[in-house]
Amino acid sequence: MGVAIGSILTSEEIDLNDLKGKMIAMDGYNIIYQFLASIRQRDGTPLMDSQGNVTSHLSGLLYRNSNFLMEGLKPIYVLDGEPDVMKEGTLEKRKERKKEAKKEYEKALEKGDLERARTKAQQTSRMSKDIVQGSKRLLELMGIPWVQAPAEGEAQAAHMVIEGDAWAVGSQDFDSILCGAPRLVRNLTITGKRKMPGRNEYREILPEIIVLQEVLDELDISREQLIDIALLCGTDYNEGIKGIGPKRGLKKVKKMGDLESVLKKEGKSIGNHSVIKQLFLEPKVTDDYKVDFGEPDVDGVVDFLSGERDFSESRVRDVLDKVMDSYEKEKQSDLFSFN
Amino acid sequence: MLHAKIKSDILRDLVDIVGTIVDEVKMNLSEDGIGLKAVDPAHVAMVDLKLSKEAFESFEADQMEIGINLNKIEQFLKLSSSGEIVTLEHVEDENRLVLEVDNITQKMPLLDTAGMTDPSVPQLDLPVNLIVKGKHLLKGVKASQNISDHIALSAGPDGFEIFSEEDEDMVRLSLSKDKLEELNANEEASSLFALDYFSSMIKSVSNDVPIKIDIGSDYPVVLQFAFAGDNGDVKFLLAPRIESS
Repeated sequence: MGVAIGSILTSEEIDLNDLKGKMIAMDGYNIIYQFLASIRQRDGTPLMDSQGNVTSHLSGLLYRNSNFLMEGLKPIYVLDGEPDVMKEGTLEKRKERKKEAKKEYEKALEKGDLERARTKAQQTSRMSKDIVQGSKRLLELMGIPWVQAPAEGEAQAAHMVIEGDAWAVGSQDFDSILCGAPRLVRNLTITGKRKMPGRNEYREILPEIIVLQEVLDELDISREQLIDIALLCGTDYNEGIKGIGPKRGLKKVKKMGDLESVLKKEGKSIGNHSVIKQLFLEPKVTDDYKVDFGEPDVDGVVDFLSGERDFSESRVRDVLDKVMDSYEKEKQSDLFSFN
Repeated sequence: MLHAKIKSDILRDLVDIVGTIVDEVKMNLSEDGIGLKAVDPAHVAMVDLKLSKEAFESFEADQMEIGINLNKIEQFLKLSSSGEIVTLEHVEDENRLVLEVDNITQKMPLLDTAGMTDPSVPQLDLPVNLIVKGKHLLKGVKASQNISDHIALSAGPDGFEIFSEEDEDMVRLSLSKDKLEELNANEEASSLFALDYFSSMIKSVSNDVPIKIDIGSDYPVVLQFAFAGDNGDVKFLLAPRIESS
């Protein structure tokens, strides 16, 4: 998923506390996928209720959002709509990869290789109707708004930040930056320790912020040129040019000025490149959304998660009680706000 | 350079007062005495304190900043009794503070002051000012503590009130104008505060100390009083609780 330009985007580590009182437009699908992939048992089986319905995402949404609310961060979940037809190739490939991963998962399980089984299982995560419906229902019960994007969630999230309805986008992917999001916050949903891919090592993960204008100033390029670099490296809509990564891409685009000149010089082509550029420059977004926060409906969440999805009632109540306590505290004002 | 002698009681008062806000503090030393400003991590309360050199038995210092761990000083003071003289000395080449009382010497490392900024004190123009004896405040706080976590301070041309409410319980301490040392009010003003902060701010005052209080509506309160005879001056600011954000 996403574009591979991370290595040229400078970011700054921040504390969750720095986001107190700020609205963050979360790339909802990105976050739900992360929960589906990471919240699993040791052998890779996702959390499930007694009916066999996956509940990993509900667990992630409950605990992570409780944490946000306690810190005073205000999340808004922006959910994907219809993918652009340009993305079909990527989606098709993803489906293939998931099928392949499922086979390898079963093979690893048979052999008793739990570590590999878990890795492979993580790659099979799928977004079903039940998962989307359940996520929306839980968010509503927690008083957290969600917004339906007409197409890509992160494009809509970027739009909401540009419009001033949110302070930053929250996502692991960089696409929102290409879509013009002034600020992107990463690692919001994976604070703590993260396993390094493919290795049995853990690293402390802190939230980090990427500021579009600072990136452009530092690289001394325009947003259009940043999009050009992304296309050279590969996006959800195109394969990159072989042998060109972010750093070489940056050098070439700066030297030649734009993507078209680079392609001409290299004697390469990217199909529909002007259409793809347009998808980032002027993505399909809507102004038809409402952002209303409410207080969590503790009994409602308990009825849903404990009554229907077999969560432990005492644990659900515990975490929500803490959230309710923090609502009380929110009424305490800050001395410096009177300056 | 710092070389000073001070009564343990005065040092204890200072540690009590500042310790309600922070555990670590940056003190600004000058030849006239010491000054400090500190705000708690949640930005709810601030202290602005001055202690002139007259409060000391003897005082010599150069212009400098030192970072102090108040918990350590508090522990040290438990070894002293009332009326004893504490000697404070800064050992520059070790960057340690040496405290002596009776036959005990304790050395403690000074904290790095690089990350400790002087908070800027908000400039507030509060409509109601009054002066009240410490005993009234202490009693009002005690009454509120019986029933609530919050305390409302209200004042107007007729007097001053301390008020708390929780469910069906209510308690009020009313002081008419003639019970106050001073009252300047052309309008009514009222703000609500977290009682735990407020009570710890006044816990070191004695019954007869006049306390100057500035009140606004949904605005921070400013409390000002003297300690160490009249050689120390404390100003506390406390941010209000505001109904529905």
